[in-house]
Amino acid sequence: MTKTKIRYFFDFLAGQERWLNRMAEQGYRLARCGPFTYHFEPCNPGEYEYAVELVGDRPYYEAKDYKSFLESAGYRVFTKNINLNLSFGKIRWRPWARGSGQLTTSPGSFNKELLIVERKRQDQPFALHTDPQDVLETYVALRRAYRWATGVMAALLVLTFIAEPASGVLQTALLRLALLLFALLWGLPAAKTSTIIRRLREEIHG
Amino acid sequence: MIRIRDNVKGGALTETTFLVLLAFYRPNHGYEVMQWIEEETGGRVSLGAGTAYGAINTLVKRGWITPTGNEDGRHRKEYMITALGRRVAEQELSRLNKLAALAGRVMRGGSK
Repeated sequence: MTKTKIRYFFDFLAGQERWLNRMAEQGYRLARCGPFTYHFEPCNPGEYEYAVELVGDRPYYEAKDYKSFLESAGYRVFTKNINLNLSFGKIRWRPWARGSGQLTTSPGSFNKELLIVERKRQDQPFALHTDPQDVLETYVALRRAYRWATGVMAALLVLTFIAEPASGVLQTALLRLALLLFALLWGLPAAKTSTIIRRLREEIHG
Repeated sequence: MIRIRDNVKGGALTETTFLVLLAFYRPNHGYEVMQWIEEETGGRVSLGAGTAYGAINTLVKRGWITPTGNEDGRHRKEYMITALGRRVAEQELSRLNKLAALAGRVMRGGSK
């Protein structure tokens, strides 16, 4: 029986990956996904496994080329959004991305900041990046995205104390609580990623 | 772009980079490179697809490998080592041979 789940992951890489793999262990294979929805079809429990990768920091042509490369290697690849952008009309600015990857247009790389990569389960762990320096670079890019999101939420929270709120006391308090919560929800993965980066740097540099 | 750091001026390539370079001594696709490395190292080195993609792009940027212009039925691009890439690989082999010789002298002969 097909299954549809509605989810948003603040820990959009590791958290999403863990959840997809839990679903796969229960016998659900990802069929397609939307901005907040995941549609699954039945499969044998543990038949498939998933890895999630951030590509939103790359220029569109590179992300597209990488997706083609993964598909040519026999993986099934889905694009997914993380919605960490500022929008101006049909152009989005991703301050946390690199070079021309900072600007994204529709359809282009809109809502395609992540790749969900599927393969049939194997004995070896599913790792898209195996070279220590390469792994480090991916975590540095990821931390940049989490830190930017945390920073924006924190800045907006501070702004609510500086600017005169137009809404009532209760609404302002709820807004501040929501911004604080979002800052923490993105801040925790940012902190976890920093720990991983520190460990990787120690491994690489001795 | 995922950067694979190499101290080329100091003459040292990472194992990943050297293996990927060797794999392109004959025309090869990215996926074949991953399989070739795993087979030739007896499973000791297993290259992730993301690492392979980054390594290939880095080597193309440096001019050590070049696309041959061929694609197979699955649109997999083929690459081949260049003359510059061969020179770099030969320098690395020479460095490793000297290092192995030094290690042999020190560990077996007690050389100072």
